[in-house]
Amino acid sequence: MAGSALRRLMAEYKQLTLNPPEGIIAGPINEENFFEWEALITGPEGTCFEGGVFPAKLIFPPDYPLSPPKMQFTCEMFHPNIYSDGRVCISILHAPGDDPMGYESSAERWSPVQSVEKILLSVVSMLAEPNDESGANVDAAKMWRENREEFNNIAEKIVRRTLGIPT
Amino acid sequence: MINMAFCWLILLGRAVQKLVFGELRVSEQQQLRDKFWNFVFYKFIFVFGIINVQYIDEVLLWCSWFALLGFLHLLSQLSKDRFEYLSFSPRTPFWSHVKLMALLAAIFALSGFMLLVSVFVGFFGGFNTFAFMSAEVVLLAIRTLHIIIRYALHLYDIRQESATAMNTSDEGKAWEKRGPISYYTELSFELTALIIDLIHHLHMLLWSNIFLSMASLVICMQLRYLFHEIQRKNYLWVRNHLEQNYPMATTEELQNNSDNCAICWEKMDSARKLPCTHLFHNTCLLSWLEQDTSCPTCRMALNIQTPSPTQMEPPELQADPQENTRRPFNHFFHFDGSRYVSWLPSFSVEVSHIQAIRQNHVTASNSQLDAMARQVQTLFPHIPLSVIIDDLRVTRSVELTIENVLDGRLVAPPIFRDLDINQQTSRPLTLLQSNAEPSTTRNWDEFSTDNVETEDTVMLGSRFSKSSSEREKILHRRKENMIQMARRRYIEKQKAAAAAAARSDLQS
Repeated sequence: MAGSALRRLMAEYKQLTLNPPEGIIAGPINEENFFEWEALITGPEGTCFEGGVFPAKLIFPPDYPLSPPKMQFTCEMFHPNIYSDGRVCISILHAPGDDPMGYESSAERWSPVQSVEKILLSVVSMLAEPNDESGANVDAAKMWRENREEFNNIAEKIVRRTLGIPT
Repeated sequence: MINMAFCWLILLGRAVQKLVFGELRVSEQQQLRDKFWNFVFYKFIFVFGIINVQYIDEVLLWCSWFALLGFLHLLSQLSKDRFEYLSFSPRTPFWSHVKLMALLAAIFALSGFMLLVSVFVGFFGGFNTFAFMSAEVVLLAIRTLHIIIRYALHLYDIRQESATAMNTSDEGKAWEKRGPISYYTELSFELTALIIDLIHHLHMLLWSNIFLSMASLVICMQLRYLFHEIQRKNYLWVRNHLEQNYPMATTEELQNNSDNCAICWEKMDSARKLPCTHLFHNTCLLSWLEQDTSCPTCRMALNIQTPSPTQMEPPELQADPQENTRRPFNHFFHFDGSRYVSWLPSFSVEVSHIQAIRQNHVTASNSQLDAMARQVQTLFPHIPLSVIIDDLRVTRSVELTIENVLDGRLVAPPIFRDLDINQQTSRPLTLLQSNAEPSTTRNWDEFSTDNVETEDTVMLGSRFSKSSSEREKILHRRKENMIQMARRRYIEKQKAAAAAAARSDLQS
């Protein structure tokens, strides 16, 4: 099982290296273990996360294209769809079987034709447009709805922190 | 004497560890410790609770027997962990494979020897002693053999991979065969291990009534595993279904379709075609359908959950009765029971392909329609969703709708087209701005090395090195570069903003 997963991950790594999408870098942290990647995601322009470079960890299961990887931001994040420990909650990362929130149609779920690139692109669009219906971080969702200015301030601080610029 | 023997055992263990595994990883250590205490605890109960030994030399004999067994168990567990870890990495030196394989073979041989000893002892000591002694040994042997075979398959796999560069047609065939083989070995090994375990426990239960509650608890757990294992058998009939309902793609279709298999991203020399015309490798499709019964690409639900008797009929395209297709598209596990009840009158029809698509889609639910519409819209973003859905209601197929769009039968209402043009014109503008910004404000002296670095990233981005250490280095450099660039851009923007603020202050 792991053999085909390895080949597929290698192919994806190659593709991501040769044609990297704008503002996204991803690859194995250490090639001893090809099932643990780190991704850097640039905050989309024109949003409150603009300019930040957010590191995240991707953990792939041994049966990879059949089951989705897990994704977790390793920097501090404040976003309606990211748990406070950094785990990302988007439908593309959920297997078709389980539906923790009970609202996603299976069309948006994980399937083997998805890829690391597609996951990261959807995370970028999630950063740009939070889905405040699925509250992974309820505080953030509330603030996003009711007090956008405060939310933007916090996001700005996080952006500075990821760039190593003192706030 | 005994003490010395144990000392030697421990020393031997150390030596083997140094020789084969080198430094243990943290998780391996953790697991090893858990396993060890588990084993000790379990065997303690066994020796004193179940056999109820009376004499000290008997206790000693049992203890040393189990110590040896436990030692081998731990080693095999360790090598299994290590094997799984190694299979995660693309660059494993050949030598470490050899070492691990040798260790596994040694464990296997030793367990065979121990089995002989237990037979010998059992010859004098009676059947019960033999059964108790041999059960664990046989378990050990089976587990080890299992690991060896898995390992061999994996190595074969890797070899194949390196061979693919030379000739691709061979690989395809080997790959096709490999799926079922690995499945069957997995299944048979796990089943035999579980059955022997079960018999062992039952034996213990019969032997002593004291530990009834304890042992029965364990047995219940074993039973649950067994049950779970047998449930996995639906693999078999998913495969049958696949073979009977979805034809292999013809060579022409394969030639027309230049894409790789969407599941494993590898070239397709043979493929199976789903009713939605999507092509996949046979094995890839199989392993996906085991967990979800929809097309991976378009999410069209496949009616796998009705293994009706009509499938015994000639393998023509079958359209199930519509009552059947109305069912929820969930895991087929739930349909195991109902499949005997729902022998609804199926009919087998010979139809051309497009008609088959329509038939299957008649009962497509709204969410499916939605999904299809979204799929079309990703291709043609200028056409509003509602228009697409209307058309899909008529065509019932993504392909047909796309064809309609391409042929100009389906066009966006004028408002949307205007909007689209606006978007198109506005996009280049923003791009221009973002490009222009850094170049105009780049006279901060601290960023004088700018040009060199940007050139660097271009070079880094367009290369995928063959050597893994070089890849690692390049990736690391790219990451650092990206952060540096982002930092610089951010600072520039801050300065520009500050300057603008100062200017406006001056003006006021």
